[in-house]
Amino acid sequence: MSIQIPDLLSPISPTWCPGCGNFSILTALKKALIELDLELKDLVVLFGIGCSGNMADFIKVNGFHALHGRAIANAIGIKLANHRLKVIVTGGDGDLYGEGFNHLLAAARGNHDISVFVHNNERYSLTTGQASPASKKGTVGKSTPQGVIEEAINPLALAISANASFVARAFAAQLQELVEMMKEAILHEGFSLIDILQPCPSFNKVQDNKWYLEHTRALKADYDLSNQEMAIKQVLKKGPIELGLFYRDQERPAYHQELAQLKNKSLVEQFPFKQDLNLGINDFV
Amino acid sequence: MEKIELNWKIAGKAGDGVMLAAKFFAKLCQHQGLKVFNYYEYPSLIKGGHQTGQVFASSEAAHCQRLHLDLLFLFHPKFLDFHLDALDEELLVLINSSNFDHSQYPQLKAKVISIPFSQLARQKVGDPLTANMMAIAASAKFFAFDLTKLTDLIKKEFVDKKKIIAKNLLAIDLACDYLDQSLSNSLIECRTKTLKIDQSRKKDLLLTANEAVGLGAIAAGLQFFSAYPMTPATGLLHYLAAQQAAYPIVVKHSEDEIAAINQALGASFAGVRAMTGTSGGGYALMVEATSLAGVAELPLVILEAMRPGPGTGLPTWSSQADLNFIIHAGHGDFPKVVFTPGTALEHYELSKLAFYIAEKHQLPVFILSDKYILESQQSMPQPDLLIDNQRLSLLDTVKTGSIEEKYLRYKDTETGISPRAIPGLNKEVYLANSYEHDQEGFATEESMIAKQAMDKRLRKIETMLPELPKPAVFGAPVKEADKILISFGSTINVLQELLRLLDDKEIAKPAIIHLPCVAPFLTKDFEELFDWHKINEGRQEIYTVEGTATAQLAQVLKANSRLRKIKSLLRYDGRPFYAEDLLQWLVSAKISEIYQIK
Ligand SMILES: Cc1ncc(C[n+]2csc(CCOP(=O)(O)OP(=O)(O)O)c2C)c(N)n1
Ligand code: SF4
Repeated sequence: MSIQIPDLLSPISPTWCPGCGNFSILTALKKALIELDLELKDLVVLFGIGCSGNMADFIKVNGFHALHGRAIANAIGIKLANHRLKVIVTGGDGDLYGEGFNHLLAAARGNHDISVFVHNNERYSLTTGQASPASKKGTVGKSTPQGVIEEAINPLALAISANASFVARAFAAQLQELVEMMKEAILHEGFSLIDILQPCPSFNKVQDNKWYLEHTRALKADYDLSNQEMAIKQVLKKGPIELGLFYRDQERPAYHQELAQLKNKSLVEQFPFKQDLNLGINDFV
Repeated sequence: MEKIELNWKIAGKAGDGVMLAAKFFAKLCQHQGLKVFNYYEYPSLIKGGHQTGQVFASSEAAHCQRLHLDLLFLFHPKFLDFHLDALDEELLVLINSSNFDHSQYPQLKAKVISIPFSQLARQKVGDPLTANMMAIAASAKFFAFDLTKLTDLIKKEFVDKKKIIAKNLLAIDLACDYLDQSLSNSLIECRTKTLKIDQSRKKDLLLTANEAVGLGAIAAGLQFFSAYPMTPATGLLHYLAAQQAAYPIVVKHSEDEIAAINQALGASFAGVRAMTGTSGGGYALMVEATSLAGVAELPLVILEAMRPGPGTGLPTWSSQADLNFIIHAGHGDFPKVVFTPGTALEHYELSKLAFYIAEKHQLPVFILSDKYILESQQSMPQPDLLIDNQRLSLLDTVKTGSIEEKYLRYKDTETGISPRAIPGLNKEVYLANSYEHDQEGFATEESMIAKQAMDKRLRKIETMLPELPKPAVFGAPVKEADKILISFGSTINVLQELLRLLDDKEIAKPAIIHLPCVAPFLTKDFEELFDWHKINEGRQEIYTVEGTATAQLAQVLKANSRLRKIKSLLRYDGRPFYAEDLLQWLVSAKISEIYQIK
């Protein structure tokens, strides 16, 4: 049976600030899960540590509230242990582009079949608003009173160059587009990344909903999303922030599809209730 | 069968094939029906340097390497300088050279023969690499091995590679002829060391403790192993990676140690038995996730393969100095188990037990061991090869009351163990949480719920105590001995060899206590070993024998038992203890300055 609204209901209500972009991301995620023909038991959602990660308590699913930065690594382990599960990672830009960026690049290179949804508010909000790796050069914060010296990272360019097979950007407040993008990402067989622009009215006052509407535009309708080189050029372009799917490779097999031992059954289905050590001792006799 | 013992060593540069040769010779000894211990020393580099493989084989027991050698094979004459200590008149040295200048070593008592194996291999076999096989053949001949076992072994190892087999067989003939000539020319008395060997072979396995841990893991149903290479844990990664062809296992070489342990925890959450392995520096990166395993109650087995620190330390040498680090690793209070196996067999058994304890009690279990035993090969009796496994503490296997009852993943139970649902397999869903959480798994900051959750987890310690391996006693009874030696991990191999050496001696044997589990500490079982009147009156001398500089085991004993007066015999230069040195210490109270008494 597919997922129904009450299934996802948690006993805890969100504790986010009014106007926080996390509300619409949670709504979009729930909508996407309900609209996809999934069974609740076959879904695992992992959460980072941050305001965004607090979503773990606001939705009732098989969840894994990971350590800061590490959810992608946990997700890969989950997927390899049982590739029949749909595995989704959600977390902040501090978590996924800062503390744990290494894991994101590795997951992209491996084309692990997980979906990563980054709540990108350009801040470390839960720790009271310090600059994140996605903050613009010059961002002033309590830990960077003279302004950030580093340039902001370009996560999409990095993901595409690491051969991620599904790379997109969305805006939290455009709910229906976000729902559709999430559904596509979840259905994509391979690594998918959606960089979700998320307003944080408490710590990123400049980039409110209005600012995002003024500074973003959709990718052109005739955009060719199968050209990796062009995609990198596209995401490096200065000017308005573009929203949409920049790159998709549907040919590349997912990591688990390349493992012979997972051809017929998932690992967890192959638990060795009877184990025979004769092959294991071959070199020792 | 008469008692047979032989000590053999090979030394060369990295790239000479020393390790392969020693492995081959060790296997040959095994095939002659002997118990074997094969110890390697090598520097952390790929070409050059000085490395050795050292095989002690015995018809009785081979616990560890021995100091005195019967046969030493040197790839390069200048390496003689490294071995001058070990050169007594009983020893035959074979040097891979066309001549050897005896006048340079006027003090030398050992017999030295120069045999230009490399030259022979190049000129007569057409493959310089066969010099190794010549060394092995000459050794086999010297020890009067059954040479057909050697040819059988070559055919088995190089199966399908006809040319290589032919070359090696030719190399054997050449080497044997050459040795015959040399011995009859000048040094016939070496032959008096000839060993007659019983051919009836026992069913033993010869493997490193890394491999024993891997075999135990497979026996216990390991299905996911993620790691980042680091000496001396790499052997486990390589063994398990190769087993993917034979078993339903996934081995992931991860991007770093933090990823490795977190991937293993993900796999564990998804219901497979999972493990990671590394050395101290790599484990330092895994500490945070160990604590996650504690709070989220995820089963995990971790091999921590010790080498000397601090920092990058001595990468290819041994140590036991991560003892306190591992016992205390992880922020916050949570139950964990630290096994410290000694022999290869105990590594196999405790590796199996580690998976059982981890899954049943839903917590991290360490196998804390060291380079010395993990990279040495040791004989162990072949275990049962057909194994039945059960799943433990899972939702299906535990009675959960009425069906309508809400599923509580972290249900507060008397044992502290709560039934675990597996995503995808159970219809019940739950949140595994790195935050403190209520019984359902949701984060909480309520004081009573937080206390209750902590108490529940810590209660598992009491529950598991009866299932943990107890201290083992060897030698004299603890209550009667004048001296009590206490060790953990690999040191028991040397202490058991010490007991064997004491068999022929007049002096009293010490009592030896080996601790296979250091956390939770089995205080009751440990304290029951002693006569506390004698201890309190100071009538017995107690020493820890350990590979640390700060007597860490003595600290652990003081923290967990009533023992107060403990001295320590320490070695922390990366090398193992030698039974011969310990014997001398017992006899004369003197010991080389490479050791320290504290
Ligand atoms: C290892 C570790 N380091 C630091 C922290 C503290 N910490 C909690 S949340 C956070 C940053 C969160 O930023 P982000 O991921 O962008 O999430 P947001 O709160 O903005 O949603 C930090 C640094 C932590 N929990 N763990
Ligand atoms: S601080 Fe920012 S990100 Fe956090 S809840 Fe408030 S608005 Fe949302």
